[in-house]
Amino acid sequence: MQNKLEKKFLSDFVKNQNIVHKVCRIYTTNQDQHNDLFQEIAIQVWKNYSKFRGEAKFSTWMYRVALNTAISLYRKSSRSIKTQDFSDVSFKIESVDYDDTKDQQLKALYTGIRVLSDIEKALIFLYLEDKPYKEIAITLGITEVNARVKMNRAKDKLKKSLNP
Amino acid sequence: MDLANYKKVWKDQPEERNKISSLDIYKMTQSSSTSIVKWIFMIGLVEFIFWFSINYFATKSGTFEPYAKLNLMTFLDYSNYLHYLIVLLFLLLFYRNFSSVSAIDDTKTLMKKILLVRKTVKWYVYYNLIGVVVFSIIINVLIFNTPNYLSVLYDINPSSIDQEQMMTIIIITQIVMIALMLLVLWLFYYLLYGILLKKLNKNYLELTKLSEIEGI
Repeated sequence: MQNKLEKKFLSDFVKNQNIVHKVCRIYTTNQDQHNDLFQEIAIQVWKNYSKFRGEAKFSTWMYRVALNTAISLYRKSSRSIKTQDFSDVSFKIESVDYDDTKDQQLKALYTGIRVLSDIEKALIFLYLEDKPYKEIAITLGITEVNARVKMNRAKDKLKKSLNP
Repeated sequence: MDLANYKKVWKDQPEERNKISSLDIYKMTQSSSTSIVKWIFMIGLVEFIFWFSINYFATKSGTFEPYAKLNLMTFLDYSNYLHYLIVLLFLLLFYRNFSSVSAIDDTKTLMKKILLVRKTVKWYVYYNLIGVVVFSIIINVLIFNTPNYLSVLYDINPSSIDQEQMMTIIIITQIVMIALMLLVLWLFYYLLYGILLKKLNKNYLELTKLSEIEGI
């Protein structure tokens, strides 16, 4: 039933879905919103997939579509308020090398990011994902200088909420 | 702990436990988008239909009958043709702007394009509102320049009433009606688009603010 393009899209998307989950986690505050945003990103990636020429890595391309959807296209639905907030949910997994301290630090980091503005969230997310300034500037459509200035401000804000 | 250490924590974070299967992702892509652009598009379409039907039914329902008596039908017909042509151009522009919105643009361009879709609808609404006002003024001037317009329009004997008073009443009633209509529409748009575009406007301002200061 699925054609070749669809199959390729699904395999690319499933492989890189962790990027989308991370974006959903920073832009939403509960599971319902997370699922809604995830679905909208999947729709947008599929809608534009035929325009993906493969000149960049699929993951790079997906960062842009995912962030654009979270910042400009997605609207939080009202039903979201009823469900459990993320702050009660632990990221803990049953892994030996992943200890409780790290779990706490990760939670603190997410909490710190969530109070930032939508644009600052994108900047910090791309910084944490180790993207160079040039790529950050292109993704957001601003100059590199502007990206640096905005990034410094966002970092200061995040630092303050992490170490009050 | 500084940010570099947090970066490490971020990198070491476990992968999402609830992995979505390709079947579920396939199902997701088959459902329809609930994006803000879709909303603006739907509301825009409703507005086009709303204004178009108001005009269409006003012509059909005989609201313009008095004008026939004043021999204004040719003027009305031509202004109607012009109106339909302008509506068509607006629809084309609206659709073109809507289809140019794509999530693969950079964030700034994307936001600009979304706001442009909204602006097309705004211009269309302005066009209609200004149209109503201009049309009313033209019709009024034509009516009051028609000799014995009272007897022609309302079957009233001009000598039985104060013509000047009648004219004032007609004008004031129209001004009040138009002002009320504008107020209701303004409130409606203010609330509707205010709620819908609050986040987008704020983000767009934040992203573009600094570049203006720096002149880049």
